[in-house]
Amino acid sequence: MKKFWGIVLIFLFLGIFLKACIRADIPENCRVKSSVSAEEKTVYPKSPKNVTINGTDYLQSQAPNGIFGGELVISTIGEGPKTFNPCNTKDATSSTMAGLLYDGLVTTNPVTGNVEPLLAKSFEIKENDYIIHLRQGIKWTDGNPITADDVLYTYNEIVFKGLGNPSTMDAMMVEGKLPSLEKIDDYTVKFTTPKPFAPFLRQLSYQIVPKHYFKPYSDRGASVFDAFLNPNTKPETIVSSGAFKLKEYVAAQRVVFERNPNYYKINLENKQLPYLDKLVYLIVGDTNNEILKFEAKEIDALSLKGDNVARYKEKENRSDYKVYNLGADTGTMFLVINLNNRKDKNGKYYVNPGKQRWFRNKDFRSAIDWAIDRKSMVQNIAFGVAEPLYTAESLNSIYLNKNIKGHPADRQKSLEILKNAGFNYKDGILYDNDGHKVEFDLYTNAGNLEREAMGVMIKQDLEELGMKVNFKPIEFNSLVNKITKTNDWDAVILAFTGSPFEPHDGINVWNSMGPLHLFNMRRTNGNEQANYTVYNDDRLTWEKELDEIFEQGALKLTFEERKPIYDRYQEIIAEENPIIYLYSPIRITAIRKKFGNIFPTPLSGLLYNLDEIYIRK
Amino acid sequence: MEFLKYISKRILQTIPLLIIVSVISFFIIRLAPIDPLAELRLNPSISQETLDKEVKRLRLDKPIYIQYVYWAKSFVKGDLGYTSAGEKVSTKLKERIPNTLLLTIIVIFMTWIVGIPLGIFAAIKKETAWDRILTVISSIGMAIPSFFFAILMLMFAVKTGWFPVGGLTSYNFNEMSFGSKLLDLAKHLILPVIVLFTISLSGLQRQMRANMLEVLDSDYIKFARAKGLSEFKVIFKHALRNAINPMITLLGFEFAGLLSGAALTEYVFQYPGLGRLILEAVMKSDINLVMASLMMGTIMLILGNLIADILLMITDPRIRGGVDGRISGGAKNGNN
Repeated sequence: MKKFWGIVLIFLFLGIFLKACIRADIPENCRVKSSVSAEEKTVYPKSPKNVTINGTDYLQSQAPNGIFGGELVISTIGEGPKTFNPCNTKDATSSTMAGLLYDGLVTTNPVTGNVEPLLAKSFEIKENDYIIHLRQGIKWTDGNPITADDVLYTYNEIVFKGLGNPSTMDAMMVEGKLPSLEKIDDYTVKFTTPKPFAPFLRQLSYQIVPKHYFKPYSDRGASVFDAFLNPNTKPETIVSSGAFKLKEYVAAQRVVFERNPNYYKINLENKQLPYLDKLVYLIVGDTNNEILKFEAKEIDALSLKGDNVARYKEKENRSDYKVYNLGADTGTMFLVINLNNRKDKNGKYYVNPGKQRWFRNKDFRSAIDWAIDRKSMVQNIAFGVAEPLYTAESLNSIYLNKNIKGHPADRQKSLEILKNAGFNYKDGILYDNDGHKVEFDLYTNAGNLEREAMGVMIKQDLEELGMKVNFKPIEFNSLVNKITKTNDWDAVILAFTGSPFEPHDGINVWNSMGPLHLFNMRRTNGNEQANYTVYNDDRLTWEKELDEIFEQGALKLTFEERKPIYDRYQEIIAEENPIIYLYSPIRITAIRKKFGNIFPTPLSGLLYNLDEIYIRK
Repeated sequence: MEFLKYISKRILQTIPLLIIVSVISFFIIRLAPIDPLAELRLNPSISQETLDKEVKRLRLDKPIYIQYVYWAKSFVKGDLGYTSAGEKVSTKLKERIPNTLLLTIIVIFMTWIVGIPLGIFAAIKKETAWDRILTVISSIGMAIPSFFFAILMLMFAVKTGWFPVGGLTSYNFNEMSFGSKLLDLAKHLILPVIVLFTISLSGLQRQMRANMLEVLDSDYIKFARAKGLSEFKVIFKHALRNAINPMITLLGFEFAGLLSGAALTEYVFQYPGLGRLILEAVMKSDINLVMASLMMGTIMLILGNLIADILLMITDPRIRGGVDGRISGGAKNGNN
């Protein structure tokens, strides 16, 4: 009898807790895509205008007027910012936060992708000269004016010296030369690039920093500068220019921003933006916690992944949030094949010569491309919240080659291609023309469930062609080591994030000597391969063409001139398949309905106009 | 005098121990195929020059033993170095230590205040309904994995809305009055404390019950009872003093656990404590941070044992004579 009551007690105890976990409202089968993509058309406001009031050149937002006050609470996944120094950010969270504090000379129109002035009042381009007119009368948070000296300082003493994160310097370098910069007057500067260089205009979005605040630290060398503006800097001492200034940083908990009263952007009633008093980023460890915080109404916006989309869309009508479909993002999942035919220091081939013959055979790669069923990957792995991808540029890129339509998976066609290339399919096993069984390893990073699922599906698709695929998820660091150092791999599933505006950013991948030229790595860390092509040009014909394309594309300045050049590069990749693109996830974000001036765009997402967002009454 | 000699001897003994622990852990971490720069390497917008600069800064181009010498040199000078992201390790630890102490002290305090009396109670009421109920509850507490219990609690918080979902303070904490600050802290602490409390309570309660039963079964207790002493006196004057001794060694381990935190529970509750920091550091092979925490853990463990031994000397007259002969045993680890 006593035992009986003991058991009853346990069940009661468990019941109380389990009750809390049961959800009655998960829809069994919900057609995600159809329900999400049926959005009403957003009417975007016009680009901001310059308005001069009492000698100050303000930037006037053309978004409808809102109400001042209130706060927006959002989240950032991970450990929070590592620095607020915009010149020294190496991770996404730090970049976002530093990006709130400091503005660049130009920005990208969130709808069209065109370059527009931001901290600059206007710019003129004459061949290699970029004349930038600055706004008069605008101020840093401490009341000092923002002038040409700050621009000169930022570029001459930080960017061009490679202080902090030198990536921008490397990207601005044309044939080993940096652009020059001269001051015309207090509010005008002129950049001159050594050659016409198309990506340069967008690179001017690099954040301008206050000379009077930064110089004492930058003068003391790289190590002092690297520690400058670390997250524990006293918020009230930070001098910045963006819509929000730092109010508080609490390690592993939150970053709080408050409105910058000196901000140079105004609304249609000429009142200074931003509308929100406070912007709070909660630092959360993982997506699960983020979801719980959204459910508990602790945060106001949530980006949704895969299986969650259906649930949130279903509950949308009965809730206080709205779900926005932002279209495919810049993330590209791909399968890369190792075309390396070189030997390492000890004279050993990186890739077994037998396998090299398959991997370097265009038809072999093409057969793999035809065999992979991207549509069922999208359905089964991404829960329909993704688009199949067939191009090297991401789907929201303004340079996307729309003529590359892609194709459905076709096993028969794959087998035909293989047969014509001398492969022999017999009793479910594929042999090459020397009678060797086709067998290779496929790697991805263990722990990434999405990529592991992709690996399993690719393995199945390829085994239907008679290939034996040994799928091996390995630890992320070991994988990176294989790709960037030891080169001893056959095929890998990975993902990259590209830029929707600037295909030249992919040069590290596509240039035959690039540090991320994954499929035929010539520049291996700490290895003399770096000098390899100096005495022996072993580039494939299409690799040569890619090198040429990326050189030419950067020299042409207008979109119309550049588009056909980059169209050709996408064609080459789609034809040669050194990298087989699989799919791009679709970004879906939920945000509380109380927020106004929400204009989601495929290029910039949802929360790009934090200075214009307000809380409806 | 003998007392001081004993303590200084114990402290001297820790030096070779610290060296061995640091060498072993340093080499294990560095020999693991984890590259702290892996993510940067796969970022298309990071140039080779940036990578080279980072490799130099983290001294990854030097052999492991030289890295160790560099680390040991600065550690001896009291400099814990920088994390792989370039922040000072000491600042990172300082940010987290008060939070972890807050949580662990509350939990340890509550467990001992509740656990010891419950253990005694269960032993006295051996094989009655009370003992059975306590057995069931502590079995649940021992069997349930901390992370799972924490997740259940978190869902409970979301569904009822009574408690915040993790963290330690609300975002408007700094604008609150002192009273509401305390309330806010309490609200955030309740769930993690319940989880850690339930789990450590069971062990302590069972341990105390077992010790007490053993003592109650001994001849001198039988003799005390036979002599006609009141039950109260038998238990609290004679039995308890002997039963509590092994618990003091346990208390030493609890002290060691003060700063090691409860990584999994902290992680689920997004508690800004040391456990979460170190878990993340280990996953990224952030060597200076991991080493600092390991060293801290080792020192705390040694200190905890020392304190336990000193306390034992005070409570147990039998040990006072031959302090050197005593080695605090047990294999309870501070972590969960």
